[in-house]
Amino acid sequence: MKCHEIGRVLDAYVDGELGPPESAGFEEHLGVCAACSRRVADRELVGRLVKQVPYYSAPDRLRVAVLRARKRSRFTPQLLALAATVALAASLGGVMVVRTARSRQAVDVTTSIAEDVVGSHVRALMGEHLLDVRSTDQHTVKPWFLGKLDFSPPVEDLASSGFPLVGGRLDYMVARPVAALVYKRRQHMINVFIWPAQEQDTGFDARSIRGFQVQHWTRSGMSFWAVSDLNEAELRELARALVH
Amino acid sequence: MPQRTFEEVVLPHLDAAFNYARWLAKNDADAEDVVQDAYVRALRFFSSLRGENARAWLLSIVRNTWYGRFPARGVDRIVTFDGGTDDRPGDGLDPEALVIQQQTVQRVQRALEALPPDFREVLVLRELEGLSYKEMAIVIGVPIGTVMSRLARARERLLPILASSEAATGGHREVS
Repeated sequence: MKCHEIGRVLDAYVDGELGPPESAGFEEHLGVCAACSRRVADRELVGRLVKQVPYYSAPDRLRVAVLRARKRSRFTPQLLALAATVALAASLGGVMVVRTARSRQAVDVTTSIAEDVVGSHVRALMGEHLLDVRSTDQHTVKPWFLGKLDFSPPVEDLASSGFPLVGGRLDYMVARPVAALVYKRRQHMINVFIWPAQEQDTGFDARSIRGFQVQHWTRSGMSFWAVSDLNEAELRELARALVH
Repeated sequence: MPQRTFEEVVLPHLDAAFNYARWLAKNDADAEDVVQDAYVRALRFFSSLRGENARAWLLSIVRNTWYGRFPARGVDRIVTFDGGTDDRPGDGLDPEALVIQQQTVQRVQRALEALPPDFREVLVLRELEGLSYKEMAIVIGVPIGTVMSRLARARERLLPILASSEAATGGHREVS
């Protein structure tokens, strides 16, 4: 290959899109041409630099919105939904009550996630699948998540605060794999779900759903959801111990 | 025959969809709207997805939704840079090197945002999503040759940032 031919396939070579025979010719030329080697190196450096820019993960409210769109499509075929809307509009005497799905979602995205969190907590406790890794040692549990998640959840044994770590498992929430840590106080089990958040740090959001307490907060780019049948004060204690 | 579900095939690419839309839109609100609409479309057309590459298929819907919604915006939007910092840990770097590295990342981010969208998207799809030329051709709807020439021009446009970033990357430019 000559220098002018190199320019034509430079990017294909860097991107590994060149067939073996062409690659061989390309590399042969690189062996004797410092200028073209330099061009390859520059290309590769641009690639490395671009790989460092932020990768924008989908925010939770978008995940919830997409999951809802999915649920709507599954349970109410679109024609039925349309018919229902028409019937409703007619029954209201032509008064259009149209609220966009999007404005609703902004308001109660937290509620929606909290309900999922409770559901997952209940399913895990019903014996389906509570622990993938059983250990009171944070140095065992934390590395266990390595390679199973695209983030590294903070894992801390809170035995000194009265919440011994029981273990962890992989769970699935808001359309993504998440870390679930299991703590215990007396006979009460506590699930703490963790996944990356785009939002700023928040205070504690406490709510009660079907008799379960849920505490939600965001810290250092992670979204935390603690859920238990423990009372609110004690669950808040756990939340504070995790934030400290 | 076992049918793969929307959950298995399309939902896992939500991050890829958002990242792509976010780099096209350069703001969160528009990117979220576009991805939400794109998923509604994807649901509608899911049954028509055969054995193809689901990620490329979804990203092409994201792209069409974006250009359908903001036909003029793709080209002429003012670049707003909110100074968002990269907070990924810089493994073992001393503080000074860390600052230089962060400055480099911001400079690259600004340079990428300032590129025309046709060039920006090929770099995002290639370097951040790791798409092959064939997949990129599907997403963008152009021949593979066009993908390659756009990548070449996009990278050439970014070459000037190399000069200022050599210190930060510890001189990776040695030639074999």
